[in-house]
Amino acid sequence: MSKLFPVQEIGSLAKPKWRTKGLRQPLSAQDLSEAEGWAEKLGIDDFHDRAKSILKTSDDKTRTKEVLELSTMYGLRLFETAGIDNDGVGGEQQRVEMYEHVIKAVQGMHLLGHVHSFDYKYFNKGVAESKISRKHPIYAPEFSDVKKYAHRAVKVPITGPYTLVDWSFSGYYVQKQRASSPKTRKIEAKREFLQDIVEQVVRPEIRDLVNAGASWIQIDEPAVTAHPEPQEMELFVEAWNETVRGFSCKFSDHTCYPSEIGYKVLAEYAPKLDKCDQLALEFANRDTSRLGVDASSREGYSDLKHFVDAGFSGEFGLGVAHVHDFTGNVSSGAGEAVGRDLIESPELVRDRLLYATKIVGNPAKIWANPDCGLRTRTWDVSFAKLANITKGAELAREAFE
Amino acid sequence: MSPEIQLAGIHPRSEKLIELTRSYERAKTSWSQVEVQLEQDTKELVKLQKSLGIRHISDGALGWQDQLRPISRSLKGIESGTRYSRWFDTNTFYQKPIVVGKISAGETDPKNFLQTRLLAGEKNRKITLPGPYTFSQLSENKYYEKYPDLLFDIAAAEREIIKNLRNEGVLLFQLSEPCLVYQPYRETFRDESEVELALRAIRSVVENNPGEFVIQTYFGDASPIFSKLLDLPVRGIGIDLFETDVSSLSDQTSKTLVLGVVDSRESYVEDPRWIADTARKFREQVDVQDLVFASNSDLKFVPQGIANQKLEALSKASELFKGNR
Repeated sequence: MSKLFPVQEIGSLAKPKWRTKGLRQPLSAQDLSEAEGWAEKLGIDDFHDRAKSILKTSDDKTRTKEVLELSTMYGLRLFETAGIDNDGVGGEQQRVEMYEHVIKAVQGMHLLGHVHSFDYKYFNKGVAESKISRKHPIYAPEFSDVKKYAHRAVKVPITGPYTLVDWSFSGYYVQKQRASSPKTRKIEAKREFLQDIVEQVVRPEIRDLVNAGASWIQIDEPAVTAHPEPQEMELFVEAWNETVRGFSCKFSDHTCYPSEIGYKVLAEYAPKLDKCDQLALEFANRDTSRLGVDASSREGYSDLKHFVDAGFSGEFGLGVAHVHDFTGNVSSGAGEAVGRDLIESPELVRDRLLYATKIVGNPAKIWANPDCGLRTRTWDVSFAKLANITKGAELAREAFE
Repeated sequence: MSPEIQLAGIHPRSEKLIELTRSYERAKTSWSQVEVQLEQDTKELVKLQKSLGIRHISDGALGWQDQLRPISRSLKGIESGTRYSRWFDTNTFYQKPIVVGKISAGETDPKNFLQTRLLAGEKNRKITLPGPYTFSQLSENKYYEKYPDLLFDIAAAEREIIKNLRNEGVLLFQLSEPCLVYQPYRETFRDESEVELALRAIRSVVENNPGEFVIQTYFGDASPIFSKLLDLPVRGIGIDLFETDVSSLSDQTSKTLVLGVVDSRESYVEDPRWIADTARKFREQVDVQDLVFASNSDLKFVPQGIANQKLEALSKASELFKGNR
């Protein structure tokens, strides 16, 4: 893409109430009133026909399919109306969430129950109870709808093998190890589990997506920066390279919220990632909420230098908007704190992009995006954030005209 | 006497409480409904501890949003709420305390720390708090020019908080210090002078402070600093047996050693015979009278049903250990 600072989403959007309810039970006209409100804003011209069809169907399977299709279309239109350049898959409306959605499709794994992530966020954690394999395609049905309705380029975010293993209990794989040291047993189990996830689950999935026409796959690996030890990083690189081997499409990595060492270790290993055309990373979360293109105002972006120094030559997807609760102060002109949300101003987005350009050196290598998926924000907030990212990217572009 | 069993931190919430908190966050449930279930979960956990013969009763900190939050909110000079950071190498996060002014103890509201009403009948209450070194390491310092000033101000403030909690009937304080042994997030390995500094800060919290103290290490190998830990004026020292190189330990101590001997990060429930054998092997290595069996860290990393089974395994292991001494 020749345009400087193109804008992309990273993955998820919140699921509208009608989408969640519609998968469990028949909907009423009242349930769809929220969708009706958004239809005009998003230009969903055939909303009433689709609503009628959803309301009249008595078959759960048909209703589920229609609701998923409609919510995917809404997600795509929300991104497009906000002005972003890559639609992703419309906010991952067809997935439970990034981990559980995959684990449910893996033979040999069982979801054990919820564990705490932060605040009132949890995830349903799985365990490998036997050797694993893929039960059925995971993302292909969603991609089929996305292809049908997207007006812009798309990329398919998938959960990476390292993260799937790291977020699961090893169960079968750790119990079969015989080393006397618990530490060695764990690392050996992780290696074997990872090999199976790559070969039996992730590669077959990528094959299906590529065969269906996917040209850009974003591999989400938030877990990798949690383990900056060389042994773990080498495992990650090994799994990545095996995952992408032989496929001809664009691959990017998304990683966020690293441990205290930040991105320094990922930067060291990033040049070893085969076919990794882009790193989409969270930065806004650690940045100040004041304008400026100096290092102090843009302290959250200092880690970018590590990637440049280490020789990573691909693109950067720059996190320019926070996606979690915000309770701090916002300086004049940098945005607005509304309840638990920060709506970054276009000027703050611009300054983040311009500062990153100073570090990276080439504006053509920088995309603008939120730090991570926007699933914890309301659609109003997500739309406002994305629209301001788009405007901020325009302002940054003007600096190069 | 068989080894005591203790909870070593935050216990997982029940599926019911999880559902209610999620629903509360979506504004579909009132906070009072959450509170009712929180109380119910706490009562059941206290009951479970009693049924397993646990002497120091904890409320499981079921309402804590992360391991640092109640302390963060009780200190002056700290801002939090905008940044989330990963809790070591787990898939859990904490609100990063941002140090923006001189740190001192603010008003300690005991309700932010423990369910005082539900522990009313318990004389031997236990609470787990982050130690001063770990708290300082996991904070972002935007105020102090010299790190030792930050560390010792945190220690002084924590000392005050502990005094206030002692007045609320807490007898045993576990100060968790994973940063003393966890290394990977650091660019350079901490040197001896930093360890000494950290231990001095811990001393300044516990010396002449009423109450009993355990310094718990986890997520890393405690063997390099084990003998130094034993010199601390505290009742007990805790180590993570899934990370510590036990073969390199050879000390003798009159202190209680808290063995982190069930893994809070794996779902399989350890066989009580394995736990008892592991403890026996440990005692062949280290000459110690009093042992406590515990999980290596907070059990919040596994679902509640598994956490409870792990506590039961510890209790059975304690009986087996006693029977074969």
